[in-house]
Order: sequence, then structure tokens, then C-alpha cells
Amino acid sequence: MTLEGWVPQINDYMSLQEVVEFAFDYRGNTTVVKNDGSEIVGYIFNRNSDAPEPFIQLFDERGDGPFNIPYRDIATIKFTGKDTAAGNSWKAWVERKEKEKALRGAASGADRLGSDPGSHGG
Amino acid sequence: MSVPISQMYTVASYVIKQKLSGRKRYPLVLMLEPLFRCNLACAGCGKIQYPAQILKKHLTVEQCVRAVDECGAPIVSIPGGEPLMYPDIDKLVVELVKRKKYIYLCTNAILLKEKLHLFSPSKYLTFSVHMDGLREDHDEAVCRDGVFDEAVEGITAALQRGFRVTTNTTLFDGASPLRMRQFFDEMMNLGVEGMMLSPGYSYSKAPDQDHFLRQTRTNQLFREMLSENKRQWKFNQSPLFLRFLMGKQDFECTPWGNPTFNMFGWQRPCYLLQEGYAATFQELMETTRWENYGKKSGNEKCRDCMVHCGYEATAVDYTFSSVKGFAETVAVTLTGKL
Repeated sequence: MTLEGWVPQINDYMSLQEVVEFAFDYRGNTTVVKNDGSEIVGYIFNRNSDAPEPFIQLFDERGDGPFNIPYRDIATIKFTGKDTAAGNSWKAWVERKEKEKALRGAASGADRLGSDPGSHGG
Repeated sequence: MSVPISQMYTVASYVIKQKLSGRKRYPLVLMLEPLFRCNLACAGCGKIQYPAQILKKHLTVEQCVRAVDECGAPIVSIPGGEPLMYPDIDKLVVELVKRKKYIYLCTNAILLKEKLHLFSPSKYLTFSVHMDGLREDHDEAVCRDGVFDEAVEGITAALQRGFRVTTNTTLFDGASPLRMRQFFDEMMNLGVEGMMLSPGYSYSKAPDQDHFLRQTRTNQLFREMLSENKRQWKFNQSPLFLRFLMGKQDFECTPWGNPTFNMFGWQRPCYLLQEGYAATFQELMETTRWENYGKKSGNEKCRDCMVHCGYEATAVDYTFSSVKGFAETVAVTLTGKL
């Protein structure tokens, strides 16, 4: 389950604060759309909704920052970057290992057949 | 236990000083993450899943040293990422040794042999090598063949040159107590100073979610592994923490015991959970809602956690909080019986 590609609409059912929480939890770049129409792409690593002026903090695409953006300036946040926590590399690793083991097993079985005339049944 | 006397003395006098000054919450080990970049992508690790621009970044030595001074903990653990990939790791270590901090440089040791010339042996510097079990088990945990052998080569080279070396093992569900006991023998035969053990934490961002230990299983596994512990096994950690893992001791988490600093700031509330960042250590300590964490809080994320960064500080604090705690620690240390 990943939010990659999600473009949330801020409305009565989805508050900006909720979207910020999802973006904070997201391990990929997002695009912050500001109320003035400008956009900034980067990784949101922090937010503070308890501060007198709630804000998010991000490093931009080039790694520059941190930049603070007040909630009041944000129209929405688009989940545009690749979700680096998505997928399951461990399962892929296990599957590859199992295949290798099976292949090794098959190869040694073939060797045994080749070296042991008895196993050919005469 | 294998912690040298001078290190024990430093930690003991630090803790006693905190207690005498009436400081309720104090840090014991600073977890200093200079970078998130790593040359492995282990299944149980939730530390390296970031976009490229974040993985390319790292802290400066000045930022690291400022954090160390700000925090004041006597021990600095340098995990990551892989700290041997940090371009200024040698300069950072020199600065920390100057400050008489006991450093645990947590490495997978792939680069250890190659980078050893950057360091000088010191009682303050320990290479804490990530080893998750015997060859097959370790290579499976780190998702790459051959890493166990590379690590052994690194350990051997470091020991030959007079460095302090310990191992650091994370255990997951499915670990075999028998194989782990063989692993302890193998590590002690290699000549490491001691071993550190911890159950893994179920990082929500880690690729493998199926093999994290729950509390009952943790107790069972550690009991089976350590009940008949051999005298030759040395553990570089509080014996009461090991008893806690075996279910013989009941502790509550001390999330402020191992505060974490990285390029995002001071991580709330602990090394494992990322619920936000404070700009200063003081802000972290004063504004984190500590009552929301630990088993008693009912926080679901803390329910099954028994990881050393939360509970080792509790065990150390317990040792110095009462005669009973001190006597228990001494008894276990002297008898060697966990």
C-alpha cells in the first residue's frame, strides 16, 4: 500500500493537517503546492502543528534546506516522488535464494545421476 | 561482562552525578547518525528508505560535535547508514576521543579493513560490528552473500591492530537458539571483546514485516539462548538488560536514554520512532510528551518493543537507583549466571 501518485483535495473530508501527517510519514519526495500557485518539490521530514504558527520542514530536490513553510501558505501536497519504503525487497531476496537453492539441488542431483551408474537402473 | 573498568567507572560516576543533582531524565548514549547512506539494504532496517538527495547528504563534523556537547552523554554510538562511508569519520572520531567520549562505531565492516588506517587504537574507540548470526543467517539478514566473511576479515584485521571490537546482533523471529549459541562461540573464538544483543524493532518502513519478535517469543528465544550461558561468552551490555530479554526482569522504557541526532535534528521520541524533530536537545527533552511512550502508555508502537535503545538505559538506571539494583547487577556480573 503506497500513497505514491496521490493528489489529495483539501476539503471537508480531508483536512490539510491530515494530508501533512500523511506527507510527513511518506518516504519519498512530495510537491508542496502553495496558495500563490508556486510549487516546491522535496522531502518533508518534519512538521509542527502545535507551534503558534504551524509549519512543515523540507529539504528540496537538490538537498538544499531545511525550508520552513507555514501551513497557512499550503494549498495541498502531491505525492509525486517514488515511495522508497514501498515494495518488498526482502521477499524478492528470499525468492531468489530459494530459486538458487533449487537450482543447486537440481544440479547436484544431475551430477549424482551422471557419476553413479547404479542410479540409471543398469 | 566485558566492559572495561575505566568505561564502567565513567558511566557509573556520570549516572551517580545525574542522580545526586536530581535530574530525572538524562541521556546515557547519544545515537549520532551522520548519514543515512549505506552499502547494504538489510531486510529489517528502516533507516535508509529515503529519496536520493537525502541519502547523498551528511552532517558536518561541526554539527556532530555540537550535538555531542549539547547532549553530554558519556557514550556516543555512531550508527547510520554506514558510518565508514561518512567522508569525515576519522576527524569525527578524533574530536570525540579528545572529549573522552566512549565511541561505538556501528559498522557492517565491509569497509573496515580498507579504512582501518584512518584510526588509532584507543580505549575510547570500539568498532561495533553488525553480525546477525552464523554465515548463512547473517548473509540472509543483510540480503547479500559474502558479507559475513568480509566482516570476519575486518574484525580480524582490527583486532590484530589493537582496536577494541564488539559485535552487535539483532534477532528476529525464527532465529535458532542453538545456532546463536554456536555463533557466540565463534565470535568469542575470533577474539572480540564482547557481544551486544537486541531483538529487532518492527520499523513500519522496513521491507520485512513478518519476522519481528513479539514479547513472549523474545523472552522464549533469549531464555533458550542464554539460560545455560557459557563463562567464555562476554556481553558488552548490562546483564540486567539481558535478564529483561529473558523475562526475568520487568522494566519500563527510557526513551530519552538514547537520544538520536541526525540531519533532521533531534528525533522524537527515540531512536526507533520518528514522530518529529526538535531543533535543540533541550527542546527535545522539554517538549516531548514522554508520557505517551513506553508500555504503560498503551502506545501500540511501544507494545512489543524490547530494544536496547529503550531498555538498556533503564537497566543501568536501575543499577544505580537502589542497593537492591546494585546488588543484583554485582551478583550477576560476579557469578556470570543470567
